Amino acid sequence: MSAATAPVDLRGERWRLRVRNARDFGRRYARRTDGVVGLAILLVFVVLAALPNVFVGALETATTASGTALEPPSLTHLLGTDGLGRDMLNQTVHGARISLTIGLLATLITILLGAVIGIVSGFRGGRIDNVLMRLTDFFLILPTFVLAVLLAPIILDIVGDDAEIAGIKAKLIVIVVVIGLTSWASTARIIRAQTLSVKERMFVDRARVIGSGPGHIMRRHILPNVTNLIVANTVLTFAAAIFTETTLAFIGLGDPFAPSWGQLLNAAQAIGAPSLGAWWYIVPPATCVVLVILAFTLVGNALDDIMNPKTAGRR
Amino acid sequence: MMRMPTGPGETGKVMEDAEQEAARRAAEAGQEAVVEAPVDSEAIEAAAAARALIRGRRQWPLPKQADPTAPLLTVENLRTHFKLESGWVKAVDGVSFRLDDGEALGLAGESGCGKTTTALSLVRLLPSNARIRKGSSIDLFGIDLVPKTEDQLRRYRWREISIVFQGAMNALNPVRRIGEQIAEPIEVRLGLTQDVARKRAAELLELVGIPRQRAAAYPHELSGGMRQRTMIAMALACDPAIVIGDEPTTALDVMVQAQILELLERLRRDLGLSLILITHDLSVIAETCDKTLIMYAGKVAEEGPVSRIFTAPRHPYTQKLLGAFPNIHADRRSLETIPGSPPDLRNPPAGCRFNPRCPAAMDICREVEPPEVVYPDGVRVACHLHVAGRDGAVGVTSADVVGWHRQLPVIEAPGVPAVASAGVAEPPGPGSQP
Amino acid sequence: MSPSYLGRKVLQAIATLVFVVILNFMLFRLMPGSPERILLRNPHLDAQSIAAARARFGLDKPLLPLEISVDPPSLKVNPDSQFLAYLQTTASGDLGLSFEFRGESVTEVIGVRFWPTIILIGLAELIAIVVGLTLGSAAGWKRGGTLDRVGNGISLILYSMPYFVIGMPLIIIFAAGLGWFPTSGMLSPGAQYQSPIDQLLDFARHLVLPLATVSLGLIGGYSILMRSSIIETRGEDYVTTARAKGLKDRSILRDHAFPNALLPTVTVIAINLGYVVAGAITAEIVFNWPGLGTLTVDALAARDYPVLQGIFLLISVAVILANLGADLIYGRLDPRVRA
Ligand SMILES: Nc1ncnc2c1ncn2[C@@H]1O[C@H](COP(=O)(O)OP(=O)(O)OP(=O)(O)O)[C@@H](O)[C@H]1O
Ligand code: SF4
Ligand SMILES: [Mg+2]
Repeated sequence: MSAATAPVDLRGERWRLRVRNARDFGRRYARRTDGVVGLAILLVFVVLAALPNVFVGALETATTASGTALEPPSLTHLLGTDGLGRDMLNQTVHGARISLTIGLLATLITILLGAVIGIVSGFRGGRIDNVLMRLTDFFLILPTFVLAVLLAPIILDIVGDDAEIAGIKAKLIVIVVVIGLTSWASTARIIRAQTLSVKERMFVDRARVIGSGPGHIMRRHILPNVTNLIVANTVLTFAAAIFTETTLAFIGLGDPFAPSWGQLLNAAQAIGAPSLGAWWYIVPPATCVVLVILAFTLVGNALDDIMNPKTAGRR
Repeated sequence: MMRMPTGPGETGKVMEDAEQEAARRAAEAGQEAVVEAPVDSEAIEAAAAARALIRGRRQWPLPKQADPTAPLLTVENLRTHFKLESGWVKAVDGVSFRLDDGEALGLAGESGCGKTTTALSLVRLLPSNARIRKGSSIDLFGIDLVPKTEDQLRRYRWREISIVFQGAMNALNPVRRIGEQIAEPIEVRLGLTQDVARKRAAELLELVGIPRQRAAAYPHELSGGMRQRTMIAMALACDPAIVIGDEPTTALDVMVQAQILELLERLRRDLGLSLILITHDLSVIAETCDKTLIMYAGKVAEEGPVSRIFTAPRHPYTQKLLGAFPNIHADRRSLETIPGSPPDLRNPPAGCRFNPRCPAAMDICREVEPPEVVYPDGVRVACHLHVAGRDGAVGVTSADVVGWHRQLPVIEAPGVPAVASAGVAEPPGPGSQP
Repeated sequence: MSPSYLGRKVLQAIATLVFVVILNFMLFRLMPGSPERILLRNPHLDAQSIAAARARFGLDKPLLPLEISVDPPSLKVNPDSQFLAYLQTTASGDLGLSFEFRGESVTEVIGVRFWPTIILIGLAELIAIVVGLTLGSAAGWKRGGTLDRVGNGISLILYSMPYFVIGMPLIIIFAAGLGWFPTSGMLSPGAQYQSPIDQLLDFARHLVLPLATVSLGLIGGYSILMRSSIIETRGEDYVTTARAKGLKDRSILRDHAFPNALLPTVTVIAINLGYVVAGAITAEIVFNWPGLGTLTVDALAARDYPVLQGIFLLISVAVILANLGADLIYGRLDPRVRA
């Protein structure tokens, strides 16, 4: 064998490492029964949300309602009808799309805000950190749900109830923004803590010495190292976002023309479905809400246990 | 599988001779009747007298089922394994030893060799994935603790065997006053009133050199050395027969280390305690212990009187360990390290577990587990270089753990101090101030 | 507890309070749409009372006590400003007039709704704390056991349920279906009571379902929190020490693990207690409970901003006080922060 070894295929090596890590992660995840169950539930709902028309046809409105008001479940209406005679199965499946979309957007805003504030705060330190963390503390203490309830109508008053922004109902956008604005604080806290510990590690210093700017370091060195945490946190935030969205819609801040599950339950409450004993108006959306939040929580916990450097290895 | 001869050569030749010799001896040992060790009846009597003396000063009677003439603690063929998804970790795999009244035994060996597991097995303070295997026996005053239920075993904890854990910061409950924590076992386990317990706790604190007023302090208000003293005071609360110190001085600075060791030494002398001291610091064992037990990968490598083992180590691992350790005898420049690392205990090597790292390893070492033999000077070794029948070495089975020790004058009759009602009247000695 | 710890915490609370007041001021004065549009958009007010309100709120005055202008550089001090007037009126408990409730003062409107919420949520918190912490610590202590699997499963499901998702089925089953309890309200409408006892019984019957709803909703979260806290504590060295001392399993849990595991939950519970005032908005809606929660939603529907603003202020104060309380309790329970 010659002394000169072939140049190491760094790129290939790194790729192989990544595949191995992914496989290792997959194996560990597969062992978490709760996580797998949660994932399965989510998959079902994602499929429903992606193709509601395929399963139950177009969204029924008051004018296209296919039944009469408050029919109990039957063969024609498997889950009965609502107060306006719309098929509950149709409404619930379409609700998946709306609830999940709002949840997703709100989560993205929350995580984006939380991650940026957390990373900047942790990395820059000093006065910036001080100010940002005061703000974070404030938002942690503040009754954010009440703030959301307060903010939503004010914003709606300003932009106008029926305004549309880029073709989307302002009401929905306001809900998304309000959830995002009021729930980023805990994410920022977690990300900041992780950023601090990453910063401690050598390579940041080395990168700084080489002459890269702080922005570059944050993007190229800190971000990859907090990604795990962000992913796990995103999933848990998703659960919280859906919870908040459902609640805001239930108290009447939703858009009646975009029936999310919370909106459906709001309508059911409005016509007094519980006292009428019209359980089929309530059970389908309520079950979906609980299943989705539960599923996100299960997946989030499993991811957190596997990926969070603090909790990993505690088992 | 036999190793292929590498060809003629000086070292190869020597090794082959030694191998053949060892194999021959091993074969002989199997056939020959085990030579009875000469029994020194005088020593046995002296030991019994000392034992009676120490047990006579106990403040609380022996456990009900105890045999007053039985040795304090005999551990035979202890096997404690941990269950992992990837298999069983054989952390302690056939360890035998004996501890007599008033004796101090030092447990040493590389990190992960099973020292802590051995100690915790005694009172079964093991993690939930641990199992003590069948065939193990732990006899305390002749009472086998292995078959006891958790609830039965509880009665022996702290009253007979107490433990000083490593990190005293975490071993003390952060939200309770140290006085309460010391008094707790006195109250709960001995059934004394709260007042008496508090008083005794204060006396114990003074015994370890902490002013009794500090009983109201919380752990975080004390220095590391004081916390370790508190742990020691707590360990003495029920006047136990055995105190286990699991690296009681690591994480303390050298001065404090010395003070704590001196304290343990004094308490042992004054109170007639038996001590099991786990440490990485061989010089600590040399200074404070009567006997030492060197473990390797869950097994006993060598055991015997400190004076013998530290001057004439017989097991290649002990030799390496002593060589790796700086002491007054060693020239620091020639400090050796032990190449390689300890084996994976899920799948330890066949034969002698040390064979991949042993400079003297022979073919037989890779196949046959070395049997334990004991020399007339009381040193027990498990290595194929040491064969029963040579130099007076005697083959031992685990059942002999009791027998072969009888010949040793194990106990020097300690000068037991007058013990006051609470048993802690002795003022702290000089140099024990915090 | 050292005075410096106490002082720091009180200062922090005051700072947060000031922040909230400023936020409140900004939300309603600095928003586009002018204060008139938001504060005085009251169909029930005549021109005269609008003028009176204007005067009281000082809406004619400049906004801030200090005005800094860049071009030309100048610093103007306004001895009389809206902000100061706002601080004054707020401090004196005057939160303005409600739009919805025929010009009643916000303080009165809120006052009426205060006690029903306090009773409902206060009792629910009590039940949830006892049950949740017990369940959580028992489950975590015997991690992986039957109680843990079942208890944690139930807790996770409860944790995923907004109050109204718990409450609506309860109504369907126990009120509409079995008829054991009334479906809504706090007292039977138009009932004539023989004695105060009768009235109390009627109240209790109305209370059962909402109370169950809120308790169940809280139990999940508390139990999950306590469970993970106990699991963390279980591995601590001092728990091993307690075991080595030969204490009974129950004493180890009660005297060593639990007091330590309680620490992280205290903060969460105390903060939650602050929300007692906020009420479980959706639970109140479902049962039409005449508390602050239903008031919030009614005010929301009517865009009754003075009431919303008042509620927000009240809740913020409660939450801030609860936080302060949490810090003080924490200081009592954990000797390490006392120093
Ligand atoms: N709960 C457990 N599960 C699996 N393996 C374990 C567990 N606890 C200990 N072990 C393994 O058992 C072996 C013996 O551990 P032990 O703590 O007794 O070693 P030690 O000699 O005390 O080491 P050290 O000097 O580092 O304290 C180690 O290899 C360790 O990895
Ligand atoms: S220590 Fe083990 S490997 Fe080395 S000579 Fe002895 S038996 Fe053989
Ligand atoms: Mg150890």
